[in-house]
Amino acid sequence: MSPNNPAVEALGVAVAARVPVLLWGAPGTGKTSAIRAMAQIMGLPCETVIASIREPSDFAGLPIVVGDEVRFAPPAWARRLAEAGHGLLFLDELSTAPPAVQAALLRVVLERAVGDLMLPDAVAVVAAANPPELAADGWDLSAPLANRLCHLAWETDPRSVADGLAGGWAAPVVPLLPDGWQAEEILSRGLVAAFLRVRPALACAPPSDAASAGRGWPSPRTWEMAARLMAAAGASGTSEEARSALVRGAVGDGAGLEFLAWLIEMDLPDPEQVLADPASFRLPERGDRAYAALAAIAAAVAADPTPERWTAGWQVLGLAADAAPDVAAVAARVLAKCRPEGAALPAEIHRFAPLLRAAGLLQA
Amino acid sequence: MSDSGLEGLAAARLWAATKFPYLATGVFGAQVIAERGSGAVSVDESWRMHADPELTAAWTPAQLGSVLVHHVCHLLRTHGERARATGVGPDEARTWVRAADAEINDDLVPAGLDLPGRPVLPRDLRAADGLLAEQYFEASRASARKGKGGWGAENTDRSGEAEGDEAAGGWVDCGSGADGMPRPGQGPGGLPGWQADLLRHQVALDVAAQGKLPGTVPAGLLRWAQQVLSPKVNWRILLKAELRRAVAEVAGAVDYSYRRPSRRSAVAGQVVLPALRRPVPEVAVVCDTSGSMTADLLALVLAEVEGLLRTLGLARQVRILACDTAVGPAQRVSSARQVQLIGGGGTDMRAGIAAAAALRPRPAVTVVLTDGYTPWPAEQPKGMRVVVGLIGPRAREAPPWARAVRVEAD
Repeated sequence: MSPNNPAVEALGVAVAARVPVLLWGAPGTGKTSAIRAMAQIMGLPCETVIASIREPSDFAGLPIVVGDEVRFAPPAWARRLAEAGHGLLFLDELSTAPPAVQAALLRVVLERAVGDLMLPDAVAVVAAANPPELAADGWDLSAPLANRLCHLAWETDPRSVADGLAGGWAAPVVPLLPDGWQAEEILSRGLVAAFLRVRPALACAPPSDAASAGRGWPSPRTWEMAARLMAAAGASGTSEEARSALVRGAVGDGAGLEFLAWLIEMDLPDPEQVLADPASFRLPERGDRAYAALAAIAAAVAADPTPERWTAGWQVLGLAADAAPDVAAVAARVLAKCRPEGAALPAEIHRFAPLLRAAGLLQA
Repeated sequence: MSDSGLEGLAAARLWAATKFPYLATGVFGAQVIAERGSGAVSVDESWRMHADPELTAAWTPAQLGSVLVHHVCHLLRTHGERARATGVGPDEARTWVRAADAEINDDLVPAGLDLPGRPVLPRDLRAADGLLAEQYFEASRASARKGKGGWGAENTDRSGEAEGDEAAGGWVDCGSGADGMPRPGQGPGGLPGWQADLLRHQVALDVAAQGKLPGTVPAGLLRWAQQVLSPKVNWRILLKAELRRAVAEVAGAVDYSYRRPSRRSAVAGQVVLPALRRPVPEVAVVCDTSGSMTADLLALVLAEVEGLLRTLGLARQVRILACDTAVGPAQRVSSARQVQLIGGGGTDMRAGIAAAAALRPRPAVTVVLTDGYTPWPAEQPKGMRVVVGLIGPRAREAPPWARAVRVEAD
């Protein structure tokens, strides 16, 4: 509810990118009101459909006989959205919809088809649900339906409840995506593709138990969704936290975390490039990343210790020794153990001796 | 790195990263801030350590390094979050932190952690090694209740005063990262939650990779890494989800019937539309009553099954069978407490499932609660879904045609 709630920010990006999104949260925590307020601010017509009290034919179309054929007539809410040309279709109480209704919703959610009527592309689909543990008569979402949505956890922070009660609820802001943002999608698809080449097992991993089937899980469709969401998040300047929530929401927590960790690793300098040109090395700011970068360089030297590579490795450590002496010293211990024949002792090695001695790792 | 001038920090971290290479990512990932006059080394949930240089000046690099590792373990094991989930109040925070300390120290101290002062170990809480903080907490709460009361009642001030014979070094307040209580002055900044998740994941990968070489990583830490990498979901959630799905698939096998006119008939003119009909499934529960079963756990599972069926509106349809080599008569019960477990000795679940299938009306969903030491039917009984609850830590596998959930005491 507060603008710094990552779920709110993520919701805005998903709506802007027209990716179907589902908010999971306890009853009474303002999911419905946030979505309605968002539609109002954007000036979009919002059609609320409570899935649990509908029949399958409300989504698959009502059969009527016209002459010799049967047509599947869409209900009025679908017609209104189609006539408006844009808008928000809000499917509330998704997890209390019985399985037959969930099956009928499959086409609505992904293809925006209601009976014989196609909703315009500019219609965004947003859903809300209570976790089955919390809703008395809840069903787990079926795996195919879960796979068509980006799942966001709607958590309420007591402070924002207090603020909202006193000063009114803040509505999520839907970011305006600059024209041509889809161009970025090519880049993020490339990233996803590169990741899946490293971890092919994650390309499609349907959940094995019924409890996790109702949440996001990796499949070609959700990876595509994740790529789209990442592009939209990048184009709208969304916070990294919201971007992480979107990726994890699309492909599930496990696969999402691995992908995000891989992205961070991609940001690290390539050890071979650094060894070819040690002067170009820039130490990453954060300690754990500095450690990852230097450990990778030391491991690359240890794997193929030629005198030139060994000397280049020491040059890199010399560059890092001022900002992060301890991190560099850990890598220095690796290098010291793999000194190739005929390599001269580099000057940098002496810089680490006092520190190693202080840590009790070097006999005086 | 934006660390402030804490003397000996680099040597301490170097010691920690060398002694515990599998925790190096975590040790370097935490930001250390010198905080003069705080009198403690504490950690907040955004991976920031606040250390009083006057306190740490007296420590050797190994001691400071050990405190860093100890605090990183608080963060890795999400003690703050778990304290909130356990419902630890401000007056119990002290007890919780000791329990959390014991969870960390029980296998890191044998592995060479060199904490200043005497570290809290499980035996201080009169508990066995290798348990979780929640279990240590429960144990020390129980002993505080009947014992002298002592430290459990103290408040969490940050002075870190000595506690007589209970003292575990001069840095007793581990901070909000250990007990989940917000501290004044630990404002925004640090690592946001999702990056902390990533860091935790990376350390778990390091630990698991190192753990492939036997004898290099303490077993408790390895168990933690496995739990992070492939989290074990609570059996209650799994059992309920499987059962809900079995009932939904049976009940969801909706059929069209002309017995009742459709709600939509009014718009269809001359056409007669069918209505949806939803059968209410019958449910049977077959309980293994052989001597190898754990009665407490069985009662717990039965209560969960019963509770779920009640929310699904199916409580009246349930019949419970007790099964060992023969099958007792079906009991229709209104509460799990009424179930009588008769029998003992060996089990033959073939008889139990056959008896469930022979009930009239025939159950569409059968829940089997067993420890798995039984022969099973070769294939799924026709027209019946079987959900198996495998009870106890040594339960064997269920047949591939059944949906199985492992139930272990927690």
